[in-house]
Amino acid sequence: MSPPQQPSSTNPNSLKIRLTHRFLHNLNNLNKKRSNLDNTQIHRRSHRVKLAAYASMARVVGSRRAWSRAILWKIRNRKVFTRNKRVDHKTTHHHHLARSIKRRTTNHSNHKREYVDPNGNSGQEVKLRKLVPGVETMDACGLLDETADYIKCLATQVEVMRNLVDLYSTI
Amino acid sequence: MEKDGFFNNEGNWNSIFGMGMGMEMESQVSELNWDNPMDQSDPFESALSSIVSSPVNSHPGIPNSGGENVVLKELVGRLGIICNSGEISPQSCIGKNNSTNTSCYNTPLNSPPKIHGNSIPRNHQLPPALFPADPGFVERAARLSCFGMKESAFKTAEFPIAIPASDKKLDDSMEESSLSEQISNGETGIKGQITYSNDRKRKAIPKGKGKESQSSTLSAKVNKTVGGPEKEVSDAKRSKLDEERNGIGKEKEEGNQKQTKENAKPEPPKDYIHVRARRGQATDSHSLAERVRREKISERMKFLQDLVPGCNKVTGKAVMLDEIITYVQSLQKQVEFLSMKLATINPRTDMNMEAVLSKDTQASMLNTMNHLDALAQPFYATAHDGPGNPLTAMMHCGPNMKSSQIDGFGEASLFWGNDLQSVVQTGFSQNQGPSFHGTMGTGQMKVEL
Repeated sequence: MSPPQQPSSTNPNSLKIRLTHRFLHNLNNLNKKRSNLDNTQIHRRSHRVKLAAYASMARVVGSRRAWSRAILWKIRNRKVFTRNKRVDHKTTHHHHLARSIKRRTTNHSNHKREYVDPNGNSGQEVKLRKLVPGVETMDACGLLDETADYIKCLATQVEVMRNLVDLYSTI
Repeated sequence: MEKDGFFNNEGNWNSIFGMGMGMEMESQVSELNWDNPMDQSDPFESALSSIVSSPVNSHPGIPNSGGENVVLKELVGRLGIICNSGEISPQSCIGKNNSTNTSCYNTPLNSPPKIHGNSIPRNHQLPPALFPADPGFVERAARLSCFGMKESAFKTAEFPIAIPASDKKLDDSMEESSLSEQISNGETGIKGQITYSNDRKRKAIPKGKGKESQSSTLSAKVNKTVGGPEKEVSDAKRSKLDEERNGIGKEKEEGNQKQTKENAKPEPPKDYIHVRARRGQATDSHSLAERVRREKISERMKFLQDLVPGCNKVTGKAVMLDEIITYVQSLQKQVEFLSMKLATINPRTDMNMEAVLSKDTQASMLNTMNHLDALAQPFYATAHDGPGNPLTAMMHCGPNMKSSQIDGFGEASLFWGNDLQSVVQTGFSQNQGPSFHGTMGTGQMKVEL
């Protein structure tokens, strides 16, 4: 499968196509890596699929956007962490470890997650900053910009996934 | 003075009317004599006595001219004072007196020559050289009559002189304002309105003052009188006008604005986007920057309104933000749900990767169900294991039956396991209307076919 291109335009059709490519690619990798049992590890699989979805989204957009950069950074750290996790062979403790390590090695743009902004930001802005990755330290203007791009990509991703689900559900 | 010497004989007259009035007395006396030839001696004495005793009262014996003479005597007294100082052209004034009796009548100073003038038409005879000894006096008297007129005319003359000047200035200012109007017409409409108001003010200013020079005053007036919001505009215009005069052209607007910004207020150019202060708004640097920021934010909010469905009627930043937050949350939940679905639905995608990819791209491009119908057939061969079996069985039966989608999905959820069931059902409940219907619609189409 060809890697997705990085065109400058964010034409929704091209974005969709690219997203589809990338997402399927990631899904394939995911499915090839491990053969999870359907019932027991549904959560993990769904979580992985979700991660794959976000990763594909971020990869398609690239480093142009703050949120994509944040997502990629997060995934990279998570990957590193999961590698460590596998080495440690721990299961339940992983989550705590994951969170703690994640907090320590957290993204420099995300380390203010619990930071309440006294700059007069409304509660809504704070909520938005929590929702959109990578916009913690941005001003209101950039925040809205990133939010718009994030919404666009999210909507496209949702559409792609829905189409896939519909496709697969016909099987 | 000759007159004095002439009338030294009549001491009382001199004493009454001053030094230079001897001539007048003599004229009056002669007039009296001339008016009343029959009463030469008695009227003379009576006139004298009347003149001496009551210069103001009109003697019944004396005709109207006598009364006039009495009044005129007073005026003569005044005239004497003025005559010494003033110089009057006799001919013109006499002529004036002849022609315009009333106008001369208004000015008391004109009375003495009026004596001559009135006497002239009334008596039908003009003693051309009533005082041949002193034509200078006549001249002075005549001039004095004109002097008053001149004085009055002086005042009136000032206005004609001033008016052209002010008119000229007004015209110039109007010219400039028209020029500025021309310039401003090239600008946006808002600026045109601003210039119009500016022109109104500029016209009022020369009317009020009317004494300043053109270019400097324009800026000066503008700087003085025009308020804050128009200051930048007028400064820009002034600099524009200057440049027009200098003959420098195009692309000076940015420079102008920059210059005016720097001249108007010491604001460091924060952005490289030059902002013009709008009419009626503060030109404080902080407020300008804030306004720029607010405009940016509102622009982005508008863009977001287009992205988020169902936000066209919503106005206001707070409500809009709420909607955006809700939408982002819903999208993220959808991703989660769909990922879960995908995780369960397609354990085996490697077989049909290319086909799925190609078909899915088609589907995503066209988003129609016809292709999926074509796809559905080959997929039936690859049935899912485990939970997929009832699903495939259902799907096989799908084209034949037209069951409600809820039942179909409900069965599928049952087969997918308890964990999934709750999740799926909650996912269904959580799902927004459109997404749910979207899946239902596509599924329904597939089932029917």
